[in-house]
Amino acid sequence: MVARPALRRAIPSTLRSTSSKLLQPVSRSFSTTLQTQNQNKPNNSVPEYAIPDPARPTHFGFETVTEAEKRERVAGVFTSVAESYDRMNDLMSFGWHRVWKDHFVSSLNPGFSPLTSSSDPRAPQHILDIAGGTGDIAFRMLHTAHILNGNPDVRVTISDINPAMLTVGKQRSASLPASQQAALSFLEANAEDLTQTKPLGANQVGYSPTTGVPDESVDLYTVAFGIRNFSNIPAALREAYRVLKPGGVFACLEFSKADKHPLFNSIYKQWSFSAIPLIGQLVAGDRDSYQYLVESIERFPSQEDFRDMIVDAGFVVGGRGYEDLTGGVAAIHKGMKPRRK
Amino acid sequence: MRPSPLPLRRAARQILSSSSPSAIRATAPAVPTARRSLNTSSTQTGSDCTCGNCIRRPQIQKLSKQQQQQRQQQQQVQKQQRSSYHSYDHPSSPASFTPVEESILSAAYQHVPSHGFTSSALAAGARDAGYLDISPTILPEGAFTLIRYHMVKQREGLAARARELFGGEGHVGARPGFSEREIMGRVEALMWERLLGNKEVIGRWQEALAIMAQPSYVPPSLKELAMLSDEILFLAGDSSVDPSWYTKRASLSTIYAAAELFMTNDHSPEFMDTRAFLNRRLREVNEVGGVFRNLREWVGFTATAGVNVLRSKGVRI
Repeated sequence: MVARPALRRAIPSTLRSTSSKLLQPVSRSFSTTLQTQNQNKPNNSVPEYAIPDPARPTHFGFETVTEAEKRERVAGVFTSVAESYDRMNDLMSFGWHRVWKDHFVSSLNPGFSPLTSSSDPRAPQHILDIAGGTGDIAFRMLHTAHILNGNPDVRVTISDINPAMLTVGKQRSASLPASQQAALSFLEANAEDLTQTKPLGANQVGYSPTTGVPDESVDLYTVAFGIRNFSNIPAALREAYRVLKPGGVFACLEFSKADKHPLFNSIYKQWSFSAIPLIGQLVAGDRDSYQYLVESIERFPSQEDFRDMIVDAGFVVGGRGYEDLTGGVAAIHKGMKPRRK
Repeated sequence: MRPSPLPLRRAARQILSSSSPSAIRATAPAVPTARRSLNTSSTQTGSDCTCGNCIRRPQIQKLSKQQQQQRQQQQQVQKQQRSSYHSYDHPSSPASFTPVEESILSAAYQHVPSHGFTSSALAAGARDAGYLDISPTILPEGAFTLIRYHMVKQREGLAARARELFGGEGHVGARPGFSEREIMGRVEALMWERLLGNKEVIGRWQEALAIMAQPSYVPPSLKELAMLSDEILFLAGDSSVDPSWYTKRASLSTIYAAAELFMTNDHSPEFMDTRAFLNRRLREVNEVGGVFRNLREWVGFTATAGVNVLRSKGVRI
């Protein structure tokens, strides 16, 4: 249904040469070697399954493909749906995805600070919105932080692997107030390796990749309807752990399992497997992309399994670690990077 | 023409006896595409999948010690939530909050008198504990978690207070020796102790009650109230196993909630008015309890007599 993927590749041939660089398996560049050594990973040795390997099999909907192939095909899907993405979200979820996103952002309450006379001595809040292409989450974050909480010291970085989705977000951001536009930046990056990033449109002016997102620089890492499209979720979770400050929060809004309500679940499954590809065909003229969306939802781990993956990456969770939305059709997972001992 | 039942029965027996799921699928009629693809998904997400995005059991077992402890604590919290009354068969769990939750909440609790049960107190507490302003958002219920922290801590502290009040046997719980009157006295003392636990935050307790009355927080609040009255009756030594187990807990919960509300508006020295209020309510329960017993007896007698009168008139009842 609604999807905000991260791992996408540029389809236009002009972009292909630069973006393929991002798709290599993680190999730290010289400039980041020291950082890599200094970071305090939960386990000093990263498990083998959390290291991206282009040849390892993974899911693409109900098909089994290699990680590299999934990256390529997910890129194809989102390049083809970028234009009609927002309209399709409304049609497929009856506009309900807005409620989920509003709740997601208000539960995180970005920019909030206690009503004490002293301001926070630490650096202003930095929010990294991964797979945030069209800006749905980022714009809400800015609104909550700047207007509701009156805290203009909040920066939001929208990161997406797919320039087509980022371009849509960039266009939509033009209608924001100037102060909010100034706090917004766009980044083209692979969420499994945030050490190599580039600003949107960088390749047109011959811009070289920047040093990426440094260690412990982010207060809040959000990914909404994107993580199930990642080729290697454990690797992305560990990368999130790296860039977050101690005490920083990883928050994920994603489709999940409504198994707890069998009757509702059967209606929901019927809707998603028969109606959504049809709507995709009629409105966006692209049945296969939407078939992939519903299949990828089916393939995504259950609430508990995903919570365990988050804990496995070193995060701590509060309570049961997730919150069901609409009976479990979507779920919010949160984890916090623990303080250094 | 109706088909003969025999082949159908044979087919059914075949399906039931065959253990392999593929046989079932072979004999089953064609299903729509969507359903079929669902079937394949369930068969493919088995343990043989080797991709990094699937949870594989061996990986889970490779967790560090700290994570294992964390998960055990989580399971213990879940276990405790399952048995919400005092039981000698189910071990009670020592931790209601994970260490990280505990560190944020205990720091935030210090800010309650000045900030109230709000996200402000949580954020201030998170700063004190060395976390960021954003960190408390991992608490699943926001400000309500802080209220629950207060209630849980006060309830868990009650056992120690009972030992101080009643001497060594305070924690032993149910024993048959106590008379009704003795138990009532102990219940009153324990309820008063629990009410005094709100003394520090009494200026903020109306806010807290308002938050607890929000629809999504009503069930956990009621559950906490039920656990409190269970704890009080257990510590008071009540050992009833008849339907009064329920009525006692229900009436105690009502009284406690009313007294707590009364206390938020009580400005008398040492909350003397609240104590008087509490005593009056407890006395009323005894009186009302007597009235109900009499009423029940009267209704029972009248009904039996009525049935007998009808029977004597020849009605078959």
